[in-house]
Amino acid sequence: MRSLFRPAATSAALYWHLAAAIIASIAIIVLLHRLLGPRGRRWLIAMVTLLGGLYLGMEYFLPVRKDMLWPSHIPNPNPARGANLLSPGIEPVGNMLSVIGAFTVGLGIYSLCQVHGRNIIRRRSGWQNSLAFFLSMLAMLVFGMWSYYLPKPKIESPIMPWPKATYEVLFNGLFNPLQAATFSLLAFYIASAAYRAFRIRSAEAALMMAAAFIVMLGQVPVGAWLTSGLPTTGAAGFFRLEALGDWVMSWLNTPAQRGIVFGIAIGGLAMSLRIWLSLERGTFFAEQG
Amino acid sequence: MMASAPQSPWQRLQGIPRYYIYLLLAAVVVWQILFPIRLPITPSAATKGVFAAIESVPDGKLIIISADWDASTQAETGPQTEAIIHACFQHHKRFALMSLGAPMGIKLADDLARRVAEQYDARYGVEWCNWGYKFGYDNVLIAMAKDIPKTIGTDFHGAPVAQLPMMAGVTEISSIGLVIEITGLAGISEYWIGLIQGVYGTPFASAYTAVMAPGYYPFLDSKQMKGMLVGAKGGAEMELLVGRPGLGGAIMAAQSWAHLFIIALIVLGNVGYLLASASERRRR
Repeated sequence: MRSLFRPAATSAALYWHLAAAIIASIAIIVLLHRLLGPRGRRWLIAMVTLLGGLYLGMEYFLPVRKDMLWPSHIPNPNPARGANLLSPGIEPVGNMLSVIGAFTVGLGIYSLCQVHGRNIIRRRSGWQNSLAFFLSMLAMLVFGMWSYYLPKPKIESPIMPWPKATYEVLFNGLFNPLQAATFSLLAFYIASAAYRAFRIRSAEAALMMAAAFIVMLGQVPVGAWLTSGLPTTGAAGFFRLEALGDWVMSWLNTPAQRGIVFGIAIGGLAMSLRIWLSLERGTFFAEQG
Repeated sequence: MMASAPQSPWQRLQGIPRYYIYLLLAAVVVWQILFPIRLPITPSAATKGVFAAIESVPDGKLIIISADWDASTQAETGPQTEAIIHACFQHHKRFALMSLGAPMGIKLADDLARRVAEQYDARYGVEWCNWGYKFGYDNVLIAMAKDIPKTIGTDFHGAPVAQLPMMAGVTEISSIGLVIEITGLAGISEYWIGLIQGVYGTPFASAYTAVMAPGYYPFLDSKQMKGMLVGAKGGAEMELLVGRPGLGGAIMAAQSWAHLFIIALIVLGNVGYLLASASERRRR
């Protein structure tokens, strides 16, 4: 059994392991689907969640011993730091979680293909955009994989192989500028929205505007230049825009942010406990009633 | 169809068409990118903290630069990363790039590091390396703290990291002298602080986009962060400290005038609002 979890010795063995793992996974899923009713599935998900959380929590909090014996097939990477009974499993569990996470990427791609595929087949309005999605995804996938798996040349050549050059054009010439341009549009919306919506309708709004102006000017060299006539030290130095901006961020913003962080942490802890104990039923079982 | 009532000059002041605003803002930014009016920049204490943290990394230890950004925030995080890499090479500190949250950004960071490395004749695998994108956030960090080569496995180019000369002696988290997180994504620093800095005391510094930096001041105040670069300003300040003026400075010039333009717009809108309200009150 242990040999199953050892790294494959050859690449052929690795592919056999992969194929066996996929077949076994499908068989287990089909079996569970056939054998378990909605109640059984709920019970199974709740148990896996509980055990998973329990393992990670206990591994983190259980005291470690320096003389702790590591199981024979996994060398203890750092005997000086010590370990507890659950430490050897942390890496396989981490790998398992990574694999499950990778499945969610696959699920996302499947879902995108389903939605856009339907758009094209039924010629819904904007189906051309769906076609663009498929073309872009395929182009990035094909040239990305191709350039990654190209055999490395023995002598460095200044000329790029064409699949790599195509990938570079797609990535650096198309994808990056498009992503940067999309994000840059925010600056224009913010400028327009600030002009339209930021009105001094109350004392609080006036206070907020004053703080915003101080921080906006304090963050840029022009702010420092505007108050460069003031001395850098002493009481008058406090009124230099960069010092005022820093004061707003450190003395007013920090306590407020700390309060928010505490609130989020407590909320997160409560939510994690609810999910761990499967009390948050809406997340897992909403569709099954 | 009813004709709309004629607007007073004060009302018109509040309703400048948005395309004029977009056009003027674009003009201001392009003008300053092409012909920047560079004003003096004084590095802040937070920026000096990052520089000092790099400088004080013991010689045998490695710096991890977690480049969790992509093209969307490159204007701010790009100059920050470049200046940090300059600082590492100037102080002869070995570093490893990696990414926990931006699978596409790690290539941008790799291109950048490669370009800077050429200026210092730094060799890949000896002075610097790229561990690539590693999926799994907390799982990666928990496992990495205990066994770096095994957790990282292969580098960005698919080569086993254990075979890189600079990885000799790098076993677990005590081999790391500093972690620098550069990101436009909220939440990743919390993993580094919670699972690495907090547990093992590994020094931590960061570089954020200006919009997300306010949320991280508490960590700076509590000394859990050695320093922090804030937006393009942080990048420009770091460029100044490493003596390599670059894109960060030019972006600061554009940002300076863009901020002034937005402030002018807000003032204009409010002058119109206050005068229109006063005129309305008088009419009543």
